[in-house]
Amino acid sequence: MIWVETIVNGTLYGGLYGLLGVGLALIVGVMRVVNLSHGEFIVLSAFIGVSLVGAVPWVHPLLLIVPVAVIAFALGFGLQAVLINRVVTRPDPFAAILLTFGVAVVMRNLMVEVFGADPRTLPAGRLAQASAGVFGLHVGVLPIIILALSIVLFTGLQLVLTRTRFGRIVRATADHRDVVRLMGVNPGRVYNVVMGLSLALASVAGMLLAMRSSFTPYSGVERLLISFEVVVLGGLGTFWGAMLGGITLGIAELVGLRFDTNAGPLYAHLLFLIGVLLRPNGLFRARS
Amino acid sequence: MTLLDVRGLDAFYGDFQALFDLTLDVDALETVALIGANGAGKSTFLRCLVGLMSARRGEISFAGEPIAGQPAERISRLGLSLVPEGRLLFPSLTVEENLLMGALNQRPGSWTLARVFELFPILRERRRQRPDALSGGQQHMVAIGRALMSNPKLLLCDEISLGLAPLVVDQIYESLDRIRAEGASIVLVEQDVKRAAGAADRVYCLLKGRITLHGPARGLGLDQLSRAYFGT
Repeated sequence: MIWVETIVNGTLYGGLYGLLGVGLALIVGVMRVVNLSHGEFIVLSAFIGVSLVGAVPWVHPLLLIVPVAVIAFALGFGLQAVLINRVVTRPDPFAAILLTFGVAVVMRNLMVEVFGADPRTLPAGRLAQASAGVFGLHVGVLPIIILALSIVLFTGLQLVLTRTRFGRIVRATADHRDVVRLMGVNPGRVYNVVMGLSLALASVAGMLLAMRSSFTPYSGVERLLISFEVVVLGGLGTFWGAMLGGITLGIAELVGLRFDTNAGPLYAHLLFLIGVLLRPNGLFRARS
Repeated sequence: MTLLDVRGLDAFYGDFQALFDLTLDVDALETVALIGANGAGKSTFLRCLVGLMSARRGEISFAGEPIAGQPAERISRLGLSLVPEGRLLFPSLTVEENLLMGALNQRPGSWTLARVFELFPILRERRRQRPDALSGGQQHMVAIGRALMSNPKLLLCDEISLGLAPLVVDQIYESLDRIRAEGASIVLVEQDVKRAAGAADRVYCLLKGRITLHGPARGLGLDQLSRAYFGT
């Protein structure tokens, strides 16, 4: 029974990992660029969340996800418009990697300067401890909310990309960024919105993660690592793959914790390594 | 009335000069063929027109407006539409979505989704499929339809007969008559000299980046053409 519970909790936790990675998957899929500052933005959103909780303590932190996501969207839009669009059209992908690495380093140090290096958490109130008995299993209420929110956001993203005019433009830009210009589309503007969306999704994950475990300005690297593993496990640029990749990692981590209380993440990373060795194109990508 | 006026156009890839002092014009409702062998600079010329080549000198005016140096996304809104070489359809989009991309700049005119399906009825049946499920000829139809959806004043066609069966090429060329009837000028870039000269009012021949021959399509002798084409 304890194993079933572990797997259920791992699944719930993994939805959050999927959410961490999906923004990165979106960027990789649309721009063929890796954003090495993804993790720092996840941490920054959590810091913004903590500051907002301090400013308006009577609002539940879960509701503060909305303004934080809006701020993250604006930050992503600005980051892309001011910096990344300058290098994204270069044939050498190294320029964008170096640029976002630089952004990550600067942000990390700025966060230490502004918020200090102490570990913080986002207080989720009674919700953090609440648990529900489902078929005799003890499942946390917060993790259920987190998974539900992840699924809603994934579905929403999928619908936007497949059913709307904007989604059509994004997919076309991902296919041929020169050809869309012949249809009057400025690829840079598309990228601005896509980076905004990417970081908005990441900020939701950052807020939820901060309700479960503490973070410092240095947590970005860890967040980036998980995001990477999610993206690669799922198959580069696929969204449901990212979700499933996240869930796989979540289960591996919690099952690992049962074996060895010191090294849960180690098992997730090992699983990732084995996954990449066995299926380098991603566990969930259809063979073409 | 002159629709497109190109004067003294030079174009470069790095140190390599691809076009030399190219001068060309297209009148309203006219069809002009631009012929030349592989590497003569035909596609480079089209890329200059639509704004995808930044390294160039010279003047280009379209519908009375100077467009040299303008970004591609702005030029497209003026009514200059390209059917690119190799079609360059969007593989992640369905046929219908590909066509709708052409309508993004919302230029007024008679071309709509329904009219394109009328022109190429097979595309209506295939509207929900991805382009790579289509035959080469059908993919060309999607590329032409996508360009038409912006209601262009001037349609630039880059090698629309390349790699197609003769029967399919006939079909594509017949569609050009319908397109002209809607009031568009056409520039046909071709390696197939006879085919292009047969469909055009005037012919320009390009050899190694220079115009070697230019005149009305009727009355061009074959030996005269082949000399301009091969440079012998």
